[in-house]
Amino acid sequence: MSIHDLRPVRSQDLPPKPHNPVPVWVMATLAALWLILWDLEISFEALAYGVEDMGEYFSRYGQPDFSNLSRYLELMGITLATALWGTVFALLVAFFLAPLAARNFTPNPQAYRIAREILNFMRAMPDLLLALIFVAALGLGPLPGALALGVHTAGFLGKFFAESLERVDKGVCEGVASTGANFPQMIMYAGWPSILREAMGYVLYILDRNVRMASVLGLVGAGGIGLALHDTLRLFDYGQSAALILVILATILIIDYASAWLRGRLG
Amino acid sequence: MTTVSTWRWPTPSGWLPLPLVGGVLVLICALWLTAPMVEVDFVRLIGSLGKMTAFAGQMFVAPDWNYVPQLLAKMLETIEMTILGTAIAIVLSLPMGILAARNATPHIVVYRVTRDALSLMRALPELVWALVFVSAVGLGPLPGVMALAFVTVGFMGKFFAESIEVVDQKAVEGVRAHGAGWLQVRLFAMLPQALPDFVGTVMYILDHNLRAAAILGLVGAGGIGYDLVMSMRLFQYDRLLLIALAIYLVVTLLDRASDRLRSRIIHGRQA
Amino acid sequence: MSSISVRGVVKRFPNGFEALKGIEAEIQPGSFTVVLGPSGAGKSTLLRLMNGLESPTRGEVRIGDEIVDTHKLRQIRSKVAMVFQQFNLVDRLSVVTNVLTGRLAQRSWVGSVFYLFRKEDMGIVQEALARVGLTDKAWNRADKLSGGQQQRVGIARALAQQPKAILADEPVASLDPVSSEEIMALLREICDRDGITVVVNLHQVELARRFADRIIGMNSGKIVFDGRPEQMTQSVLRTIYQREGIEDDNSLDMALAYA
Repeated sequence: MSIHDLRPVRSQDLPPKPHNPVPVWVMATLAALWLILWDLEISFEALAYGVEDMGEYFSRYGQPDFSNLSRYLELMGITLATALWGTVFALLVAFFLAPLAARNFTPNPQAYRIAREILNFMRAMPDLLLALIFVAALGLGPLPGALALGVHTAGFLGKFFAESLERVDKGVCEGVASTGANFPQMIMYAGWPSILREAMGYVLYILDRNVRMASVLGLVGAGGIGLALHDTLRLFDYGQSAALILVILATILIIDYASAWLRGRLG
Repeated sequence: MTTVSTWRWPTPSGWLPLPLVGGVLVLICALWLTAPMVEVDFVRLIGSLGKMTAFAGQMFVAPDWNYVPQLLAKMLETIEMTILGTAIAIVLSLPMGILAARNATPHIVVYRVTRDALSLMRALPELVWALVFVSAVGLGPLPGVMALAFVTVGFMGKFFAESIEVVDQKAVEGVRAHGAGWLQVRLFAMLPQALPDFVGTVMYILDHNLRAAAILGLVGAGGIGYDLVMSMRLFQYDRLLLIALAIYLVVTLLDRASDRLRSRIIHGRQA
Repeated sequence: MSSISVRGVVKRFPNGFEALKGIEAEIQPGSFTVVLGPSGAGKSTLLRLMNGLESPTRGEVRIGDEIVDTHKLRQIRSKVAMVFQQFNLVDRLSVVTNVLTGRLAQRSWVGSVFYLFRKEDMGIVQEALARVGLTDKAWNRADKLSGGQQQRVGIARALAQQPKAILADEPVASLDPVSSEEIMALLREICDRDGITVVVNLHQVELARRFADRIIGMNSGKIVFDGRPEQMTQSVLRTIYQREGIEDDNSLDMALAYA
């Protein structure tokens, strides 16, 4: 190559800019949100007036009345116990259903589909609906609440466990399978040990969630502190309501910290 | 008896490891002690199985087809509450996330206060906030949307804050070196890096909020919740069946859609 | 002791790839066979057909006189054990528990699901660990061991099955040269002392030459050589390792000279 072989390079036009879908999506979303605002008849005026009122409203909660504290603490204790039982129940159900709902462990495709559907169904039913049904069958009290929490969160826990099981390293599964292990043995040796850490994290998360839900299930008569809050608000007793909310808040925050700490210890 | 000597656990002593036994015992104790509080009574449970199957049988009556238009309207309201509440929350949680991120916040005190505020917003379930907001602004979907948005900001704010805290400092330095101002640095260097996990989290939030929205009606905060509880109280099983079915369908649809979207994103990124 | 026979086996994967294009082989009981060949030759697939991890599209594989059939996997696997390139141990569990999984085919789910084993099983595990020289690491977690040690656990697990045959799928590919030596020597010793049939996949020619009674060379899904190590000349090696279409490859000879 000599210098005479060099030719001036013609500057080429840039290739056409690829069609960017983002602005379209953004416009569509904004349009949808506007429609929704209109359909729900939410007016910003109401909100604006509301904000003013709300300032005054929230100040009413300023003096919490702790006169019934011991009773509230007792109710909170029942709520915590309800959450515990619900979580244990969920754990038991999920323990047996999750392996069936994991594509790599399940013994046959029908079992897989059925287990998945059962878990989906349990997840889809709101705890409140389940609590209503159980209250109708068992009467008022914390037991229907515990059952409702148990059934609903069994669906979540089962799905989490199944997804974790599906992520177990294929080689590990083949290693145990090559010894001639059958389904229950595969689960206990290649399955659960491989996801133990994750699984415990999920259980703590669900326990946390159940404590929150247990506080509100009282609203449908499924026992606990929710009912007390409903009553005090209905009677416009802001002092007691504030006290109740603080008790609920404090408990949930404590459980939150404890579960985060435990999860930190595991991880 | 030969059983004791023939079976072993795979530990040096042949027995179960102590921490495991201890943990299980603690749990059993806790359950034993709290059983009366929860009124756990297995006899009662088994006895009520009959009642529950009878109840389930009662549910399978001819559905009240006249109710369908109202059902659809209420379900639509529920879905709209979910979307609106989530959208508002996402917008509001962007600035909150910036304030609550150690590397983006203007002052350490602001950081502390915002973090605690977000924690509080997350702590109580939506229903409790809905109760309070209904008491403040009256019945209807507005308090429901507020309650959903409130709790979601608590969650999304923390999520953004944590994503911002792990951004690659080099990109931030690069933008800053070109003379970007305080806000520009956060908008153009920090937030874009936090976005990829965003879609997955939004799907999860939508899923959660839809379920929450379905029950807010219980306290008058809009959606299908009110009809749900009333049909139960008034023994209108022909309606209850439709409501339960509608909730099940919508929740499942969203579930499937978000699963598919999530796998599209995972595989899309690998492609 | 069982022989392993492969008759007219063709294996086509769902994506259309034909890994094995008609394999005929008879492995004698108690022999030490090495399958040699480049990546993609079909060595792994061949081995995995022998313990049922894959099923043939056509043809059959027999262990002894039993056909390897998806319905009889537990039975087949009680006779055939496998050692893997990635060791495939359960990381969280102790060495002893990992080796105990070798006994699972002999135990119903009743005790084993609770991690309960009989005293005889513990005895078999002790022996196996002594055989591979890992008695002092018995209670360590499996993932806390070195690569060579983990592979020895894998071999101990295979021994615990008291198999008639051991299949080793690239057992030393992830190990350093010294550990590779140890593992191959261990496998050879097991074959000699216990008369267990051993089939090993390798891509290291030197190891194959030193340890094998019989070498099966594979290329692109076909057997291109079947004989004793002494019979493996340079031109044979070229046949085994050549890529399709490249007849005279100087670089190949060079590479083989160093293999």
